[in-house]
Amino acid sequence: MVVNIKYKKMKKLLLVAAILLSHTINAQTVDEILTTYYENIGGLENLKKVKGVKMTAKVNQQGMEIPLEIYQMSDGKQMTVISFQGKEIKQGVFDGETLWSHNFMTMKAEKSDAEATENMKLNSNDFPDSFIDYKEKGYTVELLGKETIDGTETFKIKIIKEPITVDGKKEDDTSYYFFDTENFVPIAIQSQIKSGPSKGMTQEITMSDYQEVEGLYFPFSMTQGLKDQPQKQPITITEIKLNPEVNDTLFAFPTEE
Amino acid sequence: MKKVLFISLNLILLACIPLYAQKQNTKGKQLFGDLSARHIGPALMSGRINDLENHPTNNRIIYAGTAGGGVWKSNDGGVTFNPIFDKYCQSIGALEIDPGNPDNIIYVGTGETWTRNSVSIGDGLYKSVDGGVTWNKLGFDKSERIANIIVNPKNSKEIYVGVLGALWGDSQERGVFKSTDGGITWSKILYTNKKTGCADLAMDPKNPNVLYASMWEFRRTGWSFESGGDHSALYKSVDGGATWNKIHNGFPEGKLGRLAIAVAPSNPNVLYTVIEAEKNERKGLYRSNDAGASWQQLNNDFGITVRPFYFSRIVVDPKNEDVVVKAGLSGSISRDGGKTFKNLGNMHSDIHDITFDINDSDRMYAGTDGGVYRSLNGGTTMEIVENLPLSQFYHISVDNAEPYNIYGGLQDNGSWYGPSSSSGGIQARDWNSVGYGDGFRVLKHPTKNIIYSEMQGADNVWRYDVDNKRVKTIEPLPQKGYPKLRFNWNAPMAISTHQPDRFYMGSQFLHKSEDMGNTWEIISPDLTTNNPLKQNQEHSGGLSKDNSGAENHTTIFTIAESTLDEHIIWVGTDDGNVQITKDGGKTWENTSQNIPNLPEGIWTYHIEPSVFNKGTAYVVFDGHTMNDMKPYAYKTTDFGKTWTNIITDDVIGFVRNIQEDYVNPDLLFLGTEFGLYITINGGESWSKFTNNMPAVAVHFIDLQKKTNDLVMGTHGRGVIIIDDISPLREINKEMLAKKVHFFKPKPTIINEEGSFSGSFGRETQFIGSNPTKSAQIKYHLNRRHTFGKMTLEIQDEKGTTISKLGPGKSKGINIVNWNYRLKQPKVAKGKTFSFGGFTSPLVKAGTYTVVLKKGKDTYTSKIDLIYDPNSKLTSSDRAFKHNTIMKMYNMSEALAYMVYELDAITKKAIELKKQKLVNKLMGLKETLVITSGDNYVGSAEPQLREKMTDLYSKIASSYDKPSDAELENLSIIEERFENAQKTYSKIKKKISFLEDLNLKSVEEFLE
Repeated sequence: MVVNIKYKKMKKLLLVAAILLSHTINAQTVDEILTTYYENIGGLENLKKVKGVKMTAKVNQQGMEIPLEIYQMSDGKQMTVISFQGKEIKQGVFDGETLWSHNFMTMKAEKSDAEATENMKLNSNDFPDSFIDYKEKGYTVELLGKETIDGTETFKIKIIKEPITVDGKKEDDTSYYFFDTENFVPIAIQSQIKSGPSKGMTQEITMSDYQEVEGLYFPFSMTQGLKDQPQKQPITITEIKLNPEVNDTLFAFPTEE
Repeated sequence: MKKVLFISLNLILLACIPLYAQKQNTKGKQLFGDLSARHIGPALMSGRINDLENHPTNNRIIYAGTAGGGVWKSNDGGVTFNPIFDKYCQSIGALEIDPGNPDNIIYVGTGETWTRNSVSIGDGLYKSVDGGVTWNKLGFDKSERIANIIVNPKNSKEIYVGVLGALWGDSQERGVFKSTDGGITWSKILYTNKKTGCADLAMDPKNPNVLYASMWEFRRTGWSFESGGDHSALYKSVDGGATWNKIHNGFPEGKLGRLAIAVAPSNPNVLYTVIEAEKNERKGLYRSNDAGASWQQLNNDFGITVRPFYFSRIVVDPKNEDVVVKAGLSGSISRDGGKTFKNLGNMHSDIHDITFDINDSDRMYAGTDGGVYRSLNGGTTMEIVENLPLSQFYHISVDNAEPYNIYGGLQDNGSWYGPSSSSGGIQARDWNSVGYGDGFRVLKHPTKNIIYSEMQGADNVWRYDVDNKRVKTIEPLPQKGYPKLRFNWNAPMAISTHQPDRFYMGSQFLHKSEDMGNTWEIISPDLTTNNPLKQNQEHSGGLSKDNSGAENHTTIFTIAESTLDEHIIWVGTDDGNVQITKDGGKTWENTSQNIPNLPEGIWTYHIEPSVFNKGTAYVVFDGHTMNDMKPYAYKTTDFGKTWTNIITDDVIGFVRNIQEDYVNPDLLFLGTEFGLYITINGGESWSKFTNNMPAVAVHFIDLQKKTNDLVMGTHGRGVIIIDDISPLREINKEMLAKKVHFFKPKPTIINEEGSFSGSFGRETQFIGSNPTKSAQIKYHLNRRHTFGKMTLEIQDEKGTTISKLGPGKSKGINIVNWNYRLKQPKVAKGKTFSFGGFTSPLVKAGTYTVVLKKGKDTYTSKIDLIYDPNSKLTSSDRAFKHNTIMKMYNMSEALAYMVYELDAITKKAIELKKQKLVNKLMGLKETLVITSGDNYVGSAEPQLREKMTDLYSKIASSYDKPSDAELENLSIIEERFENAQKTYSKIKKKISFLEDLNLKSVEEFLE
């Protein structure tokens, strides 16, 4: 009996707390959510000090395991290095000016089209996180409300960055971030696919397995796919290195041998 | 301080979770997790379109508002479309793109406006401010159908909405409404009465204060339609809707019906209206050249006057006031200002809307009962959009083939069957036509390759012998001593699980045949109310007679023979009766009086006899044609003596179907006008299923017994399947409380199927997705995993990890696919790729252990893989094949290590300038791997690596055991490899600097 009463009391107490809490959540503004987010993942100042990251990862496609190395630098330089049968194939390499990839047939470097390159340049100010100093960058950020993602309640935040060019026409660069209402970290990002065969569909990236690296938390597991569609592609990150030593020449478009 | 507060609140939140988890987890997205719907179309006949809308400045963008399949957006000038409104009501009346902010602001008015008998309902007005990514509702909850939305091109905040309103009853939410604050507040600026709504609304493109509104008096019941009355009228306002005047100078005398209005964009003085009038000679197209001050009748051709309630739209070429198009059975175009018309080019009949490209009037788009069509030559040649899966099923059924087929009939698009899975996805060409006209029920004979199908009103019921291509009509015919048979538009048919050749049909009587429809016996009295007031089909239509048969009433609508006892038959009628016989039709009992709180006379839409208990059945009722939009579902356990309501407030939208699970009697599926609902507790609470499942009307549900797939016939989005719903059977409180619960997996057949599928047309066609052939690991998490490490591995019987998978992290059901393959072999590094080396070998059949690690905890489960029982391979064949593949796998890795060593040695030798050694090494390497060329036509001659991996891949990819030819080839490769190894060890023996190279061990290298 005693147990039962205690249980009821506790339930009541928790209910009160829950109501209080829901008030707190309702009153959240975008900036409060972002502030809590940065606090929870190790502090905005620490995050801003990061000069670059190197992620070692794996994707599994039809039983084929593909090792990846992803570099992202604070000045916008980036690349993904894929290893196939001991050969390195670079994809999405950007040195600040030129965006290029290796052609899978010839394994030679080829430049991406001018539009893609110009759009990539616009992302140079987004390291390590698009939301940092979003006002100074002229971005529009808005809390749209709550939405259930992966069975979990999230804050849905819209961010509009510099307009990009799609097939010759200017379009808003809009993404939707979903911050877990419990941990205040993003667990999903959605954005509309702007060109190619899936144009008009919504892409979804989910993030989990946040783990600490030198005092900062990063998601070590991601999936990528179309919103609401099964068969999302998992990416498992085995290691994240902060401020990696990388020679700038690795990002540069190679001259023909 | 703030931080402390935050932490303590967070602790409370954490503490709350376990207590609330149980309750929350029985609902919605938190429960269903990765269980997701799969759309298979078909799109080849597409479905009804209500409204098309151009982007005013970007002709790449076109929107289609569909009758039952939501809103679709094209970014490529109408070649392909994507859905953008799946979460909301899928029946669309009108779309509007704000001319002042066309990239971002879009309005959607729900509720189709071409008011045929089978129309759905809307639930209000929506607005997007981000180009259709997110939507907000602006109200008009009871508007039911919105005919027009117009935004003032000079002021984005000023919006006019024409509300047609309720079709089956009185409503005051009709007329013209105006907002001056972007849709926050509204005022009703034109209203006639509860029966008269706004059918069309137009604005002068040069003067936004000038508006035209057509008001239409109309009403439908389940058994009649009435168009027209004293209150139909055409109005004009010159002051932004403050005052309105009738503009009838030149109009016909007497009552008016549905009127359309169009203003020529290039000359706002030119107006067109189509008038439904009392006298046939006064119906037709009228034109005004003075902005409505006077009208002249121009034309009353069939194409202009046909079925005004269904075809009323007039569209004027934006550049030429004399080019005018009228929607209709075929669609008509005039190039002389409306005097004469010719039909638009061949396309699906029943054209509801037409638009011209904003820049080039030769480019046109038409919305029909069979999708969207494009024209590049002014409407002469029409070309269908092939990726709009908008098919409107009335009914579906499934068979037991592998893969199973889905059968069903469509609004205005005949009857079809198609597979649940097909090579390369389910394409248009996979669907087979099995009936003309409007299609409804389609049933497969339980044992023979015979299909029953029908057209409207059972005018034809076909028995199709598929193998011999023989078609026979078998509908019950009038019998001596019986009155005229009354068949519903959607006439019921049923088969028996006890007698394969038995076939039932329902008129007002129940007809039974024991010989597949050759001979019929009536086994019931009139089971309906036989109310003569509801038998006026012939007089239906109002000002324009519309005797299509769609209003036949007091008919049987559903028939179900119990699977437990062939003498128990349930029959439901469209006028509210629920009849049961327990003696094969000798005696009947009407149980509908026993149903509590059931309104009189609403449709008994579906009866589902239980598979667990003879006396148990479920019945759903639909009252929407009596203006009652509430859901009704009941359960009896005593043959209908007493009934219990199983609907809760969770369910929105009227109900058309219910499906009981075959295993768990508490698991039920409910098809409503706004989507699918599921209960796991026998109806105590319902959850809407929204994972890739639009809020579309679900007209019929079937559960495939072998696969446990839930198959839905939707009225607007084709066939939608939820693969394997078996995890839902295991959900209960104890399970939900666990951190991790593995669902029982079915043994998975290792897939060795292969076939061909051309990819022609895929660029622009809808392709239905296939179910996975992978093994699926299914588990439930009681909360989402966000922080810390979580891994999922597969181990073989020795406990060796053979595969690492990316686990799902969602709260709710997670589904992880395992394709039962090992990692691809490590392959020697060459100049180019060895494509054979990308093959991953299948694992052996057997029991595997699934190991899920989450934080410090480990959870395990087992999963069984089996070989295809149809495979001809013996177990010793299997063992031999596996050993051969693994031998080559290991050989490939051994070669990879050898080349790795060799490369390191060569590098050092170059440093040390040992040219002779370098030459020897290079000479050997050139025989081992390709050292020049590219991966395409610049490729070099294949070497040992290529030959080895190609043969490995050939054997590993085959369903068969290795052939003698393959084995002989293998021995050649083995021999060549042995020779290479010998040569290499000779070279290696003489090398002194091997120790200095710090080479990886074989194990390290392969890791």
